Amino acid sequence: MLKDVTFGQYYPGNSLLHRTDPRIKMLILIEYLVLVLVAKSELAALISLAFTAFLIAVSGVRLRVLIKSVKPLIFVLAFTAIINLFFTVGEGEPLIEWSFITVYSSGVRNAVMMLLRLLSLVLGTSVLISFTTSPLELTDAIEALLSPLKKIKVPVHEFAMMMSIALRFIPTLIEETNKIISAQKARCADFESGKLLERIKALIPILIPLFVSAVRRAEELADAMECRCYNGGEGRTKLKAMKSRPTDYVFLFAATVVTVAVFLANRLQFSEILTLCKAIF
Amino acid sequence: MANALEIKNISVIYGEGTPFRKAALKNISTAFPQGEITGIIGHTGSGKSTLASLLNGLSKATEGEVLLFGENIWAKPKEMKKIRSRVGLVFQYPEYQLFDETVESDIAFGPKNIGLDAEEIKSRVRLAAEFCGLSEKELKRSPFELSGGQKRRAAIAGVLAMRPEIIVLDEPAAGLDPKGREEILSGLVEYKNRYGATLIIISHSMEDIAKYADRILVMKDGEIYMQGTVEEIFIQAERLFDAKLDLPQITKLFIELKKRGLCESTDVYTVGYAKKEIQKNITK
Amino acid sequence: MSFIEARGVEFAYSPDEEKVINNIDLKIEKGSYVAILGHNGCGKSTLAKLLCGILVPTEGQILIDGADTADEEKSFEIRKKCGMVFQNPDNQLVASVVEEDVAFAPENLGLPREEIRRRVDKALETVDMTEYAKHATYKLSGGQKQRIAIAGMLAMSPECIVFDEATAMLDPTGRKEIVAAMKKLNSEIGITVVTITHYMNEAVEADRIIVMNRGEIIADGTPKEIFSEVERLQSVSLAVPQVTELMYLLEQDGHALPRGVLHAMEAADVLEAFIKEAKNG
Repeated sequence: MLKDVTFGQYYPGNSLLHRTDPRIKMLILIEYLVLVLVAKSELAALISLAFTAFLIAVSGVRLRVLIKSVKPLIFVLAFTAIINLFFTVGEGEPLIEWSFITVYSSGVRNAVMMLLRLLSLVLGTSVLISFTTSPLELTDAIEALLSPLKKIKVPVHEFAMMMSIALRFIPTLIEETNKIISAQKARCADFESGKLLERIKALIPILIPLFVSAVRRAEELADAMECRCYNGGEGRTKLKAMKSRPTDYVFLFAATVVTVAVFLANRLQFSEILTLCKAIF
Repeated sequence: MANALEIKNISVIYGEGTPFRKAALKNISTAFPQGEITGIIGHTGSGKSTLASLLNGLSKATEGEVLLFGENIWAKPKEMKKIRSRVGLVFQYPEYQLFDETVESDIAFGPKNIGLDAEEIKSRVRLAAEFCGLSEKELKRSPFELSGGQKRRAAIAGVLAMRPEIIVLDEPAAGLDPKGREEILSGLVEYKNRYGATLIIISHSMEDIAKYADRILVMKDGEIYMQGTVEEIFIQAERLFDAKLDLPQITKLFIELKKRGLCESTDVYTVGYAKKEIQKNITK
Repeated sequence: MSFIEARGVEFAYSPDEEKVINNIDLKIEKGSYVAILGHNGCGKSTLAKLLCGILVPTEGQILIDGADTADEEKSFEIRKKCGMVFQNPDNQLVASVVEEDVAFAPENLGLPREEIRRRVDKALETVDMTEYAKHATYKLSGGQKQRIAIAGMLAMSPECIVFDEATAMLDPTGRKEIVAAMKKLNSEIGITVVTITHYMNEAVEADRIIVMNRGEIIADGTPKEIFSEVERLQSVSLAVPQVTELMYLLEQDGHALPRGVLHAMEAADVLEAFIKEAKNG
């Protein structure tokens, strides 16, 4: 169960996305989120899908890893699709009408769109950020992008540091959770049956040890950081410079073009495009 | 003596059908005789811990079966709880599983899950605490106030309280000082003798294995590399070194003495026995 | 002057709790290799934290290279000079990627980028982990994680490193790796090494052993001297190497055998002479 969670895991590599300036990646991410969420028409959806495919292709992340990252979300995906399929009340004749189930063509359309949108969101953000950006790069980027806020006394560095540590500990805590679950199962604990309340109660023997250990880890980490002369963000230098190369800007520009294209495509009907194409050729 | 636990042609394979296929255990078979202590040794990643989690049905082998007194433990998957109460499994650093308000109620967690009545639970908790050297005063305290060694003992008591017929322990004494190791291991032996239980101890400490085990199972790369009595195993020093394992220091000494033609015995692995050997040698 | 000097040190975690450290006077010379030995809960880890300034004594004082650890203004200087490697390998790694973690201390020191790079590469080379520079930290073995933690300290270029039971959670292979690293740091780079342990075969490697019991130092000497006093060690729940114990038992039986024999080969030589003499005489 928890073994399949790949969120927050970094896969070191040397692909185009790995080499892209993390700050630029953050900006592309913002554009990407916008374009996926606003894509409504078929053409817009196609463009956004193509862009997602492009991101996956240049990330160098193996397909197996991607499939694994989607696996835990299958239930959510299926649920959204089903809700959209059965509960969209469309115009015209329903496609299927059987006892209380009615499916309209717009329902199928909505389900497919929703499914693609969610999948794109998960895969796109994964390859753009978590799989190809080390947590430290990520926080450096966030710190850099938010640094104007330092002027109004927002603790940007502290926030970024907390985030990077949280990301660093995700795999450790997942492993630990699995160990505790196994240990309690070995004491005949039952997590799979009973009413909702009983099931929630059954989680106590997992949550308490996990919490205690997280606190202990935090204390030890604080000591270890202090031992390594950590003194807050002031006067810190960095091993890796965030240098943006021309290709990064090309990349950013391309993403902007795609976003604009999606906005435009939303306004066009599919039939209009066909006529447009015919007119051109 | 009957076999308490038997494994037949067990394989555990991860990622079957993908290029990342990895066999953690490769078609292994062995038996654990009732009332004996079997020590499992092996390099990290040799498959020891994978094997341990199969024995109480916490995970299922890709192939092969686990027999508990001749019965397949997966015959009735719904009764897995019962299997787990009969085959106790103590993980590495078990103190990280403690959660309840008092040591007493934490130890009672297992027996409660089996559905025993309050009276029985109480007496079992007392007995388990006794085997693990925990006093009445410690039972009333919060497990989080105990010292490291006491926490470890409380966690082991939590498994003993289910009164398992077989106990599998993964490095029960890791990180403890010599006295702490001794207390925990001798408590387990006492439990074993009292209930005719079977112990399976995974350990990196050759000294502990030499001192407590009747039989040894050596794992290497997911296979059983050697198995036999302690003497049969320790006599083959070279093969142990091949499996990246060591020998107790005293055994190394006697192998050297034999090489120099000063001593005959090669079955020396405890200090007490070593002393007798030397004395025998000089009075000859 | 000694590198570390403790004068009448006492310590309690809170005023109403029992003292964990009792009236300790101690001098540790620069470039020495010292093992502090004691059973679980004897106060040795607390002493370790006092010796590198993470904790401050409640009574008495500790001077590191002449600077009082209680002096807030000098704490940064002290940190830089005296590092620490902790027991749990997972709780002292700050970053998700090996080289980023090793760079943490020099980054905090505000060193120029080229210097950080140089130190990181050198430190990884010293612990023999260069090929893992770009690997994810959480996938390493326990021994490898500890070596990264050591490299993280080396990159700070301290004069002294305190190892707080740094081998306790490792398997025999990992333990050997770390002991080998400690020896190398001490003999090749001249770093003062203080290691806290209850493994006899690790303490044997040091030049000097300090034995603790109930917050006090009860013995201080070379490994040979310390392990000559078998009864005394056993009385404080410590064991001696098996061959040492054998010699002791034979001596108890009235045989004249030297004390403080620590290694199997050494014991074989001693016993060879002994057996031959007994048979001839």
